[in-house]
Amino acid sequence: MAPYTNIPLSPAELSYLHNSLSQNPPIRPDGRSPTQFRPLVAETDILPSTNGSARICFADGTEAVVGVKAEVEQSRTFVSATGEVGAEGVLGLGAGGVGDVDMDEEDDEQTSRAGKGEETWLEVAIEIPGMRDDDALPVFLSAMLTEALLADGELKDRLWINRRFHWRLYIDILLLSQPFSYPLPLLSLTTHLALLSTRMPALLSEKDEDPLFNDDWEASHFLYPQSEGRSESQRKPPVTLLVMSVGENIIADPSREELAVADAVVAISVAPSSTPDNEMVLKTLALRTVDPPSRLTGAGVPTALNTTAGGTSLTAAEALVLREKDQGQTVWRPPRGGVKRAVITRMIKLVTEQGGVGQEVLEGLAGVET
Amino acid sequence: MPLDSSSYSIAQLSTQAAADGSSYLEMGLTKIICTVHGPRESPTRSGSSSQSPGAHIETSISIAGFSGTDRKRHGRNDKRTQEMQHTISSAFSSTLFTHLYPHSTITISLHVLSQDGSLLAACLNAATLALVDAGVPMSDYVVACTTGSTASYAGDGEEADPLLDLNGLEEQELPFLTVGTSGGEDKVNVLIMETRVQVGRLEAMISVGLDGCRQIRGMLDRVVREHGERVLEARVA
Repeated sequence: MAPYTNIPLSPAELSYLHNSLSQNPPIRPDGRSPTQFRPLVAETDILPSTNGSARICFADGTEAVVGVKAEVEQSRTFVSATGEVGAEGVLGLGAGGVGDVDMDEEDDEQTSRAGKGEETWLEVAIEIPGMRDDDALPVFLSAMLTEALLADGELKDRLWINRRFHWRLYIDILLLSQPFSYPLPLLSLTTHLALLSTRMPALLSEKDEDPLFNDDWEASHFLYPQSEGRSESQRKPPVTLLVMSVGENIIADPSREELAVADAVVAISVAPSSTPDNEMVLKTLALRTVDPPSRLTGAGVPTALNTTAGGTSLTAAEALVLREKDQGQTVWRPPRGGVKRAVITRMIKLVTEQGGVGQEVLEGLAGVET
Repeated sequence: MPLDSSSYSIAQLSTQAAADGSSYLEMGLTKIICTVHGPRESPTRSGSSSQSPGAHIETSISIAGFSGTDRKRHGRNDKRTQEMQHTISSAFSSTLFTHLYPHSTITISLHVLSQDGSLLAACLNAATLALVDAGVPMSDYVVACTTGSTASYAGDGEEADPLLDLNGLEEQELPFLTVGTSGGEDKVNVLIMETRVQVGRLEAMISVGLDGCRQIRGMLDRVVREHGERVLEARVA
């Protein structure tokens, strides 16, 4: 077993995997095509005590549950705002121009909700079995998911209720199994489904009153409006997908074994939005390179260095020269260095293009019945 | 409504492929996913437990932040959770044939997705199902339910009517106990009561609880048998 990792593969196996994935077309261990996703089982609206929830099981047995919960919270800027707002109200009453003020504010509310949200109103917490909350993996994953969710800039504005109150959205992500492959796509897809099913109670109170909500759940509205006919504001929550490269090949939805030989792994966050003629277009929101576990694997020993197989024992410097000359051609050498810009471009294109991987995944998820 | 009616409680086995055994249990609005790993070799760092002749049962309960009415994060070192983990481990240690697996560990992880009363009882029932799914040999099911006593301040104990299987609101108002049995109703593995009640009512509560356990045992048994039939059919086909 390679040191420092949980990859139970020897250098010879890694070399074999790397070679077969570098073929054209690549040969994947499970026989998938390079852009094919593994099958998954998904269900939404499973927990009545949450605003929205979803559960996804991947084919490798990993399972995640996401619950979205919204709570009303007093805005922190309230203290500084009251003075001004209160004074205005008193003045308005005294001047008898209440009606005018009301009209103005109503228009105001419709149009200028934008830009009023704050990023801290969204809280993403990830729980991974066997890991502490402040371990690197959950912290990094939640930062990446939060980044993608906030990147469209609309979600946080939808949490604004009035000048004194706002929603605080808690997204609790539970990974129910051991993290076999890198769990980011699983968690992101589950979060996407949970947010799609998230409903907020309808507001009854007006303007800056203490918020009062309609307790009829039928009257609630979706956090991400699911209008069929209207083409505008057909925003959907983002999904983050993992794409990796081996040599010149680009592979979507890598499994654990494939990640073990990846040259570069990139997490791409895309959000779907519709064009006026009702076609889905994917917009890239965020891009992160993920440190591939292949870098921590142990290198193989070339035959020339293997003293038990008739190799000569060389000095350290000579051995190094030999290893460098080999370039991973005959034995496994963990990948190093960066990734070519052209490869990154092709990765993004693979996910975002029409009929690409991103569209396939989102169409699949849209088919999940609540 | 009878405890084992299918609209009230839903139980499934083998919900997760990655675990050795898994189950999903709904009792009213209390929903629990349980996974079992093992028996497997004990991690080397726990030197003392690996010396024990039988398998060591580890339980971990994680209560989701969204499980209650208000969102609340439950720390891993919560005293109540730790006590429940210990109770579950000790309840199963006498029922599982741990002596068959020396130097090994059986890990029970319980994920509480939604809670509305009878938490410990539901955890025990879910763990039983997952252990059955994992194929860990055991002498009998461990089944549990809660009973409460109405009219907490009424004078005569005989007239107070015990309630079976309390929900979250009832648990806050009434004195209640959790009783867990194995081997039909012969053996009580768990009996926990955290509230005060007159001694005279205790007997009635326990007997109602034992009756409830028998009902739940019938339900779990049916679920296990149905699952077994499905597995057999899938093998034959």
